[in-house]
Amino acid sequence: MAKKDNIPNDEVKNAAELDDAVVTQDAAVDADLPQESAAEAKPSAGQKIKDWFVSLWDKIKSAFVSERKNEQLALPRELVEKIPPEMLLTDVKLTKKEKVVRFLRSQSGWLFVLPAVLLMCIFTFYPIINAFVSAFKENYNATTHRFDGWGFENFKRVIMSDTGTGGASFVQCLVNTLVFTLVSVPLSTLLALLISVALNSIKPLQKAYQTVLFLPYLTNSLAMGAVFATFFTIIGTSRHVDTYGIVNIMLGWFGVEPIDWVGIGSPTWELGAITIPWAKYVVAIVYEVWSGLPFKILILFSALQSVNKQYYDAAKIDGASRSTVLWKVTAPLISPMISYLLVTGIMGGMKQYSAIVGLFGDQMGFNYDMGTMVGYIYSYIENGKTGYAFAGSVLLFIVIMIITLINTQISKKRVTY
Amino acid sequence: MKISIEHLTKAFPSRNKKGDPVIAVNDMTIEIPSGKLVGLLGPSGCGKSTTLFMLSGLENPTAGRIMFDDEDVTTLAPERRGIGLVFQNYALYPHMTVEQNIMFPLTNMRVPKEEAKARALDAARLVQIEDLMARKPSELSGGQQQRVAIARALVKMPNVLLLDEPLSNLDARLRLQTREEIKRIQRETGITTVFVTHDQEEAMSICDIMVVMKLGIVQQIGEPQHIYDDPNNLFVANFLGTPPINVFKGKAEGGNVYIGSQAVMKKVKVPVKKLHEAEDGTVTEETTNEIISDQELYVGIRPEGFIYDEKGVLTLNVDHIEVMGRDKSVVCEHESSTKPTVRCILDSDVALPDSDKFSFNLKPNKVFLFNAETEERIL
Ligand SMILES: Nc1ncnc2c1ncn2[C@@H]1O[C@H](COP(=O)(O)OP(=O)(O)OP(=O)(O)O)[C@@H](O)[C@H]1O
Ligand SMILES: [Mg+2]
Repeated sequence: MAKKDNIPNDEVKNAAELDDAVVTQDAAVDADLPQESAAEAKPSAGQKIKDWFVSLWDKIKSAFVSERKNEQLALPRELVEKIPPEMLLTDVKLTKKEKVVRFLRSQSGWLFVLPAVLLMCIFTFYPIINAFVSAFKENYNATTHRFDGWGFENFKRVIMSDTGTGGASFVQCLVNTLVFTLVSVPLSTLLALLISVALNSIKPLQKAYQTVLFLPYLTNSLAMGAVFATFFTIIGTSRHVDTYGIVNIMLGWFGVEPIDWVGIGSPTWELGAITIPWAKYVVAIVYEVWSGLPFKILILFSALQSVNKQYYDAAKIDGASRSTVLWKVTAPLISPMISYLLVTGIMGGMKQYSAIVGLFGDQMGFNYDMGTMVGYIYSYIENGKTGYAFAGSVLLFIVIMIITLINTQISKKRVTY
Repeated sequence: MKISIEHLTKAFPSRNKKGDPVIAVNDMTIEIPSGKLVGLLGPSGCGKSTTLFMLSGLENPTAGRIMFDDEDVTTLAPERRGIGLVFQNYALYPHMTVEQNIMFPLTNMRVPKEEAKARALDAARLVQIEDLMARKPSELSGGQQQRVAIARALVKMPNVLLLDEPLSNLDARLRLQTREEIKRIQRETGITTVFVTHDQEEAMSICDIMVVMKLGIVQQIGEPQHIYDDPNNLFVANFLGTPPINVFKGKAEGGNVYIGSQAVMKKVKVPVKKLHEAEDGTVTEETTNEIISDQELYVGIRPEGFIYDEKGVLTLNVDHIEVMGRDKSVVCEHESSTKPTVRCILDSDVALPDSDKFSFNLKPNKVFLFNAETEERIL
């Protein structure tokens, strides 16, 4: 924007100069120029990185400083010559004072968001920053606020599972969380899509079904988890069984031996440093899929209802089969909603805690073998080793960020608005 | 492919349980010869789309029969009828490119990809959109979208092409251009086409056969010019022609037809149908021309049916004159007219005096008489 100030304020003398100003105000355009001169040559990696930062800076800037849209556009020279200068709707000709007034006006929106921003600063930004900073304090004591120094010691120990006995293992918790989330969220979204398509195609009792399907959403997840656990449980001791849970009874009809789904004797696979308690995984995933359904059905069903019926008529004429209609017409038409559900579902899944506690107790299974990332963090808050909790939450933040970035990249390609 | 529609009827249940059903299409019987372009014409809500949807199979008829050639398709599923349908608002899949849109029916028919691509390109060439294949529908103009929709309907080489008001979203010039194009495509492909419109000019200009509908009932079927020259009733006469026909309240008295106090037609003979019973008992219908009986009438006069004459039979109060190059249009008033103005179209070289009252003679074939109650044509 430096160049802009050099332009005489009262009058733009010739259009060429104005054109120049319009072109060069934009730093990004500036940075592109060398590339243009050597159109064939590939931009170097350094250049690419620089461009990336420049455009990022522009984006940030434009988020804070709202400018007229067309100021960013470099009009072709012939066009600029034809239009009288006073009719060019750019800010070039404004006096300093006008600029200041305009700037202040354009920023008046801040006044309205100020209360919210203040509260967020206190309750959101401060804790986040504090957690980030504290993660680097070694041997931090939460009561005395004393620590030995700065460094990566917490992270090192968290990742190496070198946190002393009794706590959860970070790698175990990370694997658990990733598996729960990446299996259950797509699965429940898919199921929700199928159910809402079915729901959309029936006429009688549609509202009633919708209500029933939505009921689980109103129930507390801790309570639901506990109830779920009884479905899978075996009551009694390993030597003397009183009753099998309903799942084992039903499996028994098909000749499947009872499995200890949630208890101490639950079967596992050992994979190097981590154990995969697969039976418990099944329970957790079934639970997550089921409890994720109501909200997803609600969203997808209303998305389906807003799809113009004519697309289905057209597909019928075009001879599309039911599955073609679902995957080639319906799903793409509501893809923004599907993507929203996947993104928020995965973010939520990565923060799963209470349902696992409901299912497997506050030790999250046997010695945290079903622990989640959030469970991991809590476990170290509980036993006073807050440094590990801080480090764990920073790592969780990074993991969620990476997954979300991947998500947005994918949805950019696959989602049509 | 020949289409025969017999007693086709569609009733929609009314919203409140006790009310009468809405009869959208009422006992329609028409025969559409193979390879013709047929226009369904009528005001909004007269059941044109419903008819088309029943032809396509998207709506089930309440009664009646639809035959494609000799095959009864009344209850056949849409995809098995071999039809192409262009929707009123095109219904292009927004997430697919133009090419994918056009190829969609073919992929559903499991046509191999290479062949499907080639056929899509052919269809696109036919409607001249081959340059737009990589775009999404939202990046096209209304006319281009419409052509994509036509290409999608044509690509599977349908036996019947159905178009539901395909031009209603276009601007006047594009509409003119596209309707020529539809005519061209129809001629080139020779596909039996049914075309829905509420624009009579559009229908007149491109249809081989026109079906005029009102409130679900077919009023008249025939070639456009024939319907224009020989309308069955007041509605049809009113609906066709721009500017519309002038209608006067009149009466027949002693064989003469009067508008106001002026006798515009003298010794009028009208065809009268009579049942004639022969001696052997067979009944035949005979039409004889008889002097018109005394009755109330509507007199319809086409705008081009006026001849300026100082001693003319009908005198009108002139409001103003519009000169439009080829011809001029005299806008008049008359107390018996059912419309606020009466329009007379004259050749531009007819010299008109500066006066506020003009008299006209009438061209006999441009004057129609209608029964005042039934609105049926008498002459
Ligand atoms: N699903 C329906 N339920 C009840 N009534 C309907 C339904 N669809 C159409 N109708 C009624 O049937 C009649 C004919 O409708 P149709 O859509 O065929 O009209 P149209 O001639 O295509 O009109 P337009 O030129 O406005 O498209 C209308 O009176 C309409 O209200
Ligand atoms: Mg319609």
